[in-house]
Amino acid sequence: MKTDLAVVGGGLAALTAARAIQRSDREVVLVWPGLSSLYFLYATIDVLGYADAGAAEPVDDPGAAVAGLIKDQPSHPYARAGRPALEGGTKMLLEWLREAGLVWEGTLARNVLLPTATGTPKPSCLVPASMAAGDLRRADPIVLCGFHGYQDFAPELAAANLRRSWRTGNQVSAIRIAAPGFDADRLFTSIDLARSFEDRGFRAEVANRMRRQISGDGVRVGLPAVLGLTRAEEVYADFETALGYPVFEIPTVPPSVAALRLFDRLRKHLQETGVELFWNAPAHAATVTEGRCTRILLKSAGREQPIEARAYVLALEDWVDGALRAGVHLVRDPFFGRVIAEHAVPSQRTAESIFGVQPYAQLGYPVTDRLQPADETGRPLADNVFVAGGAIAGYDPSGTKSRGGMAIATGYRAAMEAMAAA
Amino acid sequence: MMTEDFEPVTDTVEEQAPVEACTKCTACNTVCPVARNTEIFRGPKLLGPESERFRIPQEPSVVAGLDLCSGCKLCEVTCPSQVSIQTYIRRAQNKGARERGRTLRDFLLGHTRLLGTFGSLTAPLANLGNRNPLLRWFMERFVGIHRKRPLPRYQFLTFERWHRRHPRPVRARRKVAYFYGCWVNYNERRLGEMVVAILERNGIEVVVPRQQCCGIPAVVNSNTDLARKYGVQNVRLLAPLAGEMDIVASSTSCGLMLKHDYSHLLDIPGAEPLGARTYDICEYLWMLHEAKELDLDFQPVPMRVLYHAPCHLKSHGIGYPAMRLLRLVPGVKVEEVDEGCCGISGTFGVKVEKYDLSMKIGSRLFAAVKAAGSDAVLADCETCRMQVEHGAGASSAHPVEILARAYGYR
Amino acid sequence: MPDLSTGVVVIGGGSTGAGVLRDLAMRGIDAVLVEKGDLASGTTGRSHGLLHSGGRYCVNDLQAAIECVEEGRILRKIARTTIEDTGGYFVSVTDEDREWEPRFVEGCRQAGITCERISVEEARRREPALSRHVRTAFWLPEDGHLDPFFLVLANTESARRRGARVMTYTEVVGFSRAGDRVTGVRLRDVMSGAETAIACQAVINATGAWSGLVARLLGVEVRVVPVKGVMVVLSHRLAHAAINRCHKPGDGDIVVPALSVAILGTTSAKVPHPEVLPIEWDEVRRMIEEGALMLDGVTTARAMRAYAGVRPLYDLGAEAEGREMSRNFAVIDHEVRDGVKGLTSIVGGKVTTYRLMAERVVDLVARRLGVGNPCTTADVPISDHDDSLDQLRHRPAQLGVPKPHSGEHPLEPLLCECEMVRPRDAAPWFADPAVRTLEDVRRRTRAGMGPCQAAICSYRLAARLVTDRGLDGSQATRAMADFLETRWRGVRHVFWGSQLRQAQVGTGLQMELFNLDRQLAIDGDRPETREPRLPSRRPVPAEARG
Repeated sequence: MKTDLAVVGGGLAALTAARAIQRSDREVVLVWPGLSSLYFLYATIDVLGYADAGAAEPVDDPGAAVAGLIKDQPSHPYARAGRPALEGGTKMLLEWLREAGLVWEGTLARNVLLPTATGTPKPSCLVPASMAAGDLRRADPIVLCGFHGYQDFAPELAAANLRRSWRTGNQVSAIRIAAPGFDADRLFTSIDLARSFEDRGFRAEVANRMRRQISGDGVRVGLPAVLGLTRAEEVYADFETALGYPVFEIPTVPPSVAALRLFDRLRKHLQETGVELFWNAPAHAATVTEGRCTRILLKSAGREQPIEARAYVLALEDWVDGALRAGVHLVRDPFFGRVIAEHAVPSQRTAESIFGVQPYAQLGYPVTDRLQPADETGRPLADNVFVAGGAIAGYDPSGTKSRGGMAIATGYRAAMEAMAAA
Repeated sequence: MMTEDFEPVTDTVEEQAPVEACTKCTACNTVCPVARNTEIFRGPKLLGPESERFRIPQEPSVVAGLDLCSGCKLCEVTCPSQVSIQTYIRRAQNKGARERGRTLRDFLLGHTRLLGTFGSLTAPLANLGNRNPLLRWFMERFVGIHRKRPLPRYQFLTFERWHRRHPRPVRARRKVAYFYGCWVNYNERRLGEMVVAILERNGIEVVVPRQQCCGIPAVVNSNTDLARKYGVQNVRLLAPLAGEMDIVASSTSCGLMLKHDYSHLLDIPGAEPLGARTYDICEYLWMLHEAKELDLDFQPVPMRVLYHAPCHLKSHGIGYPAMRLLRLVPGVKVEEVDEGCCGISGTFGVKVEKYDLSMKIGSRLFAAVKAAGSDAVLADCETCRMQVEHGAGASSAHPVEILARAYGYR
Repeated sequence: MPDLSTGVVVIGGGSTGAGVLRDLAMRGIDAVLVEKGDLASGTTGRSHGLLHSGGRYCVNDLQAAIECVEEGRILRKIARTTIEDTGGYFVSVTDEDREWEPRFVEGCRQAGITCERISVEEARRREPALSRHVRTAFWLPEDGHLDPFFLVLANTESARRRGARVMTYTEVVGFSRAGDRVTGVRLRDVMSGAETAIACQAVINATGAWSGLVARLLGVEVRVVPVKGVMVVLSHRLAHAAINRCHKPGDGDIVVPALSVAILGTTSAKVPHPEVLPIEWDEVRRMIEEGALMLDGVTTARAMRAYAGVRPLYDLGAEAEGREMSRNFAVIDHEVRDGVKGLTSIVGGKVTTYRLMAERVVDLVARRLGVGNPCTTADVPISDHDDSLDQLRHRPAQLGVPKPHSGEHPLEPLLCECEMVRPRDAAPWFADPAVRTLEDVRRRTRAGMGPCQAAICSYRLAARLVTDRGLDGSQATRAMADFLETRWRGVRHVFWGSQLRQAQVGTGLQMELFNLDRQLAIDGDRPETREPRLPSRRPVPAEARG
């Protein structure tokens, strides 16, 4: 298969890159190795939540904080992608979301502070409108509502933590209702709830049951992100009206409905706008001739199939979708076949605490200032390959809460570079 | 004694990654059309890799819930770790059926060639019978075939017999073997005729080798044993040809069986070289195009068509070759209608207890097809076409039909 | 003033202590068991769970082998629900192994172990994973998997029903004496720090590798050598029978199918203190390499975690290291040996022979107390505990059958999806005051023991600590973090392949979805300053840290 440009990946960086190329009316195929295992993290887009992994205070202005970071750490992936890429990518993404029918909010100039399912304030930059009312910089009281038998959102736990950790306000209460038609002793998931929420009668009954337990004026109501699977905007608006209180969603563990909406819709929108998707085709093995990558191989049914593009964006999310492969001692990159790192003892890849700064998460593709994969001396391995997303070395978004912003900035920049190189 | 750097293969994301590769990300459950439409299904994660850890060969298989898996394979398509979820489900199901005995329905639905032979021989009668409400009531009651489900029409003249009479082209650049499958043979000979016409138009002689059912109906009806038997026969019949020529299939699922499932799901020796030379018909025609061998002398076909990508096509990992081909034809306006699984999944939606679920799964596609309006809905897979016709009342066709028209075929 | 008075205080909540408690209760002797951690949290819970047929000892230690044979048969009678009858193979892979074979066959004969030589082809037909290195195979049907958690629980529950008491998270800080007689123990709750005292007529020290440390509180020496063993857990069973190397017992020569996983074991290294159990890479590596000699797929399987246990080897004065020492046990009558009345220690042994050990020590103590009731533990089944291994192993079958046509919805929800733990499996334990941490819930239900190592169920469990246990948010979050940290300590040592990929999903959930690291920081709980959850009996002496 021959194409102008190829984007490899199943996460936000890949979607961003594919959109940036499609928008420029260039031919692009999206080689999709499956939904990124980390899809659930993109329920919100976090640009920079904390200045560093140890910082206690959240960043207020992520745009400015990234600018500062770029100045201080010239080899940081944000610095390589550049501030214009973050800004351009963010602007493009917000427009895209609107065009695709998703209502999101946010600007690079301000983080919102949203409660997580453990009741912890978390700084996020771009968020679905259905989550915005959860902003903890406001002081109005919060009622958290769960469903009997639904284990992936525990309002009691979240409320108990939020009462301590929310400095602006402290009126938090927890309620649970029985979701109509769902037996607490029988299996149901967030997807089942989301599907039911698409039914007007179900919504009205949930609103009734919730209202009976909510007291007090000026409260807002938080519930797990299950307000509709595919028509979420309509479901949210209608439910909020039916309930009569401001409503906000809180993302859950997988299956994450909030993240699924984003990925489903954007992926579909790409297809609607002419991007061809190669499903079920994990890619590997780049062939480089005279400094240019001439093809990569896809593992299709029956045989390996080449994709011959004029430029490539590798937008994978580290380990989970196969950007890097860890043997017992060696870490390899499956595209150029290099050994990225060697560890005599596998535990060297980890911190002693699960919450510590993890050496393994920092591993990735060393890149040039144009995001090309680089060799030990910093020279590009191929002039027409560009890396985006979590696979870039020297960076772990977990501690600083910056996975989404990184995906956008590097995805956008890599797309621009790839178009120029093709 | 051991090598210096023992390297576990679990970290290399291979096509058939073992049960270990599952990271519990639950992506499979989020796309599973059955899990998205009913809460009584535990989803591929639990029935596949998670239950697999508890399965013990010496003990009776636990099959509760396995039959709700329609076999669409979207779980595998979506799994970022390439866990062979379907393999676990199908093998367990087969083992369960072997232990408990197979049902009449599973037997019938799994033996497509037997049904086809009978249906074609008695074609007018069989077709009448399939539309007779009383007979359908009996079929529902005693076999478990839902009475509302339209059954395929049988044709008296099979593709095999047609092809025997079909004159060979005088001069051909090369030969290709055609795996036409039971559908073309017993139900839609015209599609096979078109495939032959298109290939011949491009200077390719179509060899029609003897062949058995690909086995997919048996696979999804709890009988990988039977599918393997069929597969072994096909490998014996086709593998020698694969040394000399490519093999094309016009049915998505047949092609996938030959390409992938023979070697991976059914462990058939010698299947890999066969799979490596098997192509979906549209995939093959696009290859011809890229090699500048496809005759582009098309007549305009002024049609507005919708394209529905079958789930099993996604599993091929070849993109959308049909869409690419259709864009070459002047006059054709093609749009993808991406509303996921159509719900029928071969014989899944035929069954009395699954018909409603199957229609529910397909409802989003039906609505989209109705809303968009079109001259025809194109799909590579025959049961998808049946479902779209039934659910959306639209006419449907295989994408090659447009190409055949563009070449002036009838 | 004592807070409580009893006949016998049993120190140690492993298999021996639990067995002793049940034996005492069945002879009508009032008893209290005190354990400084959770039940089965020391040696017992960290064993590989092999129910020995005796084949392993029949050459070097015939007496131990005979005990295994007898006790294995008794356990199958009385503790049916805690045993999976896997059977086992002894396989030879080297010339040296072949030379061992005649001695092995003779040993089996002498010990009365059922042992059948079968062809390698037949063995491979039954266990397709047997490696190409395997040259000879013996089938020993009496090898099995003994679930240590359930064995201990079954014993203590049985004893409780007969009036015995169990105090977990309670450590012995001292003894009260009247002259040369021990008259009671002084205890401290390791979590609350509250001190209590129990008056008693006798104390049984069943603390295994900790025996020396306990005895030292009375100025008495018990020379027990703590021997560390490292084990590696693979994410699924590679073989459905236990696989042993047919050779002189050594490192890494056992693979045990334990419910949904396979356990590779084990190493043997003397350690200075039973709580200093560092896991060295060479040990992990050796387990995998040695396992791979017997079974295909060991190197390519997903290693989920590694853990270290400590075995109590009683030093009979032998100079030899580790395995050369007898695995036989000894009852130490401190009245005779040291002139301390009322104290008896039971040391050495192995889980398979726990019942016999209990019988012997209780025989002595009962005699001293003037109780003439005979031991009945070999005859009365431990049927009190409901959770049978069989049920655990067949969990998928118990989750309900969906019926698409009837509209019925019989499917039960799951708390831990990897190990298929239902909420109702865990619910009773949240009400049990003996359960103090999520690790304790894990031991009783297997929640968190699957491939994802609690990445998802930790949240659901923490939620239940609030709703079912009434903990506040900080306690529950702390418990969740501790649970994850404990799992992480085992995962770190097998950090490659799928388990590494799994870790990225897990840390993504905890750090990015929940922002759990910041929650801990808000609560003033920084990882680097975190103390181990359970304070040890006493600080590990500096010289022992070595």
